[in-house]
Amino acid sequence: MTAVILDGIVLGLQFGLLGVGLTVVYGIGGVLNLAYGQLAVVAAIVMSITMRSGLATGPAVLAGISAAVAIALLLNFTILKPVYKRDDEDRVLLSLLLTIGVAFIIDGFLVWRYPIEALSLNIDWDPVSILGVRMRAGSLLASAITLLAGGALIFFFRTTTTGKAARSVIQDEVGARLCGVNPAAVRTLIFALSGVLAGLFATTQAMTSPVPISAGFDFTITALLVTVVGGLGSIRGAFLAGLILGVVNAMSSFYIGSYVTTIILLAAAALTIVVRPSGLFGAKA
Amino acid sequence: MLEVSNLSAGYDAKAVVLDVSVNVREGEAVAIIGSNGAGKTTLLRAICGLLPVSSGNVQYAGTSITNLAVHEIARSGIAFVPAQRHLFPEMTVAENLALGAFPHRPDPDQHALVLDLFPRLAERRHQAAGTMSGGEQQMLAVGRALMANPQLLILDEPTTGLAPRLAAQAYESLAALRGQGMTILVAEQQVPLVLGIADRGYVLENGEIQLEGLASDLRGNPTVQRAYLGVV
Repeated sequence: MTAVILDGIVLGLQFGLLGVGLTVVYGIGGVLNLAYGQLAVVAAIVMSITMRSGLATGPAVLAGISAAVAIALLLNFTILKPVYKRDDEDRVLLSLLLTIGVAFIIDGFLVWRYPIEALSLNIDWDPVSILGVRMRAGSLLASAITLLAGGALIFFFRTTTTGKAARSVIQDEVGARLCGVNPAAVRTLIFALSGVLAGLFATTQAMTSPVPISAGFDFTITALLVTVVGGLGSIRGAFLAGLILGVVNAMSSFYIGSYVTTIILLAAAALTIVVRPSGLFGAKA
Repeated sequence: MLEVSNLSAGYDAKAVVLDVSVNVREGEAVAIIGSNGAGKTTLLRAICGLLPVSSGNVQYAGTSITNLAVHEIARSGIAFVPAQRHLFPEMTVAENLALGAFPHRPDPDQHALVLDLFPRLAERRHQAAGTMSGGEQQMLAVGRALMANPQLLILDEPTTGLAPRLAAQAYESLAALRGQGMTILVAEQQVPLVLGIADRGYVLENGEIQLEGLASDLRGNPTVQRAYLGVV
């Protein structure tokens, strides 16, 4: 039981980090990026290829994260330009259609060029005992990285001037502009940040289980579930929802079977929406 | 200081304000009065960059700011307090005020000046802006706008949603600001209040300037008295 819950927490922290990357882009740009999971997969594949061609793990991880950031910025500066000219539901809908197209293109390219590529990062340190459970070093390192990244995010959004400016755009874009905040600059920064988070998620995932080229849509759906349960645009909501869904995921795959996990996750998300339509920390319905 | 010449603006190619010219000199308080739907908000939003100017020109401190981005106009020294206030509801009063100074760090002197004007904001500094009363939110909106030490303060209907006593208080603080030398442009339906602090005023009806003059003259004008001051 303890072991299952600990596994769930390890997974849930990563879900939270993944969800944050999607939710901040939605909060700031009004854009639902359905190619988000593919960003993580591209990061993973770049890491895998560069490592095979002799690059050390550290630089390879950096290369992978940079690739995800580059694609995120490319989207922001190209196909999302017309999206930003729309408002509200129009913007969400158009962004959703365009980015799902991008997701298919990336998936298609990967299947064509790298059909059997997958990233595994084997951490061969000794297992560590926590609460009487022997935890794999990979799981612990993944959790440590995620917690550090989460801490850095909270520090950024709570205390730095740029981070507060970003939150101000989420809460009231007109108010932010009247204070002298340039929403386009904030959006660029947040897209880059979402690329970093996707890349980090790929890294930590690969420490516990392989990341294949086909994982993109699974990641996107997980991120969407986290975002919806946590409340669109809420960072702490995303982490809490990630933890809840991670534990639900681990429990249901252990006690019931992994084939129904997705159904149970969706049911948990649906239940949350019925009880709290705007999510755990949603600002408004 | 601010010179609006022959400005037209509106929504979807339909002009709401037409060929409007308004000027504000340094140290002046200028009122734009008019009934609901007269085009006051449209005029102010066009000046501040929130709506495109379809023709005409806005000059500020000798340079054209026509159709600049909102944040550029804000950084040039014009602070706009919209009627809806547009506060950051989940941030504390202190955080809202600090963002008013963006992209700079808040200046302690300016901060002290704002809290001096609105002592209530100091009491509420850790409270989320969205949970405050309408009157307090109005104070915060003005306070946030003042944090950047603006040269020109523009307000749209600062009495929106306020009880008469609070509306009068809002104008008392504007009078205090004016006493400190702040240049103010304010649109208002509550004409007696705004003419109490203004040096000059413009009457805007159906998107056009109908009348302009010294506040004292406007108060004595029969048309203004009939339409806005309740004199029969």
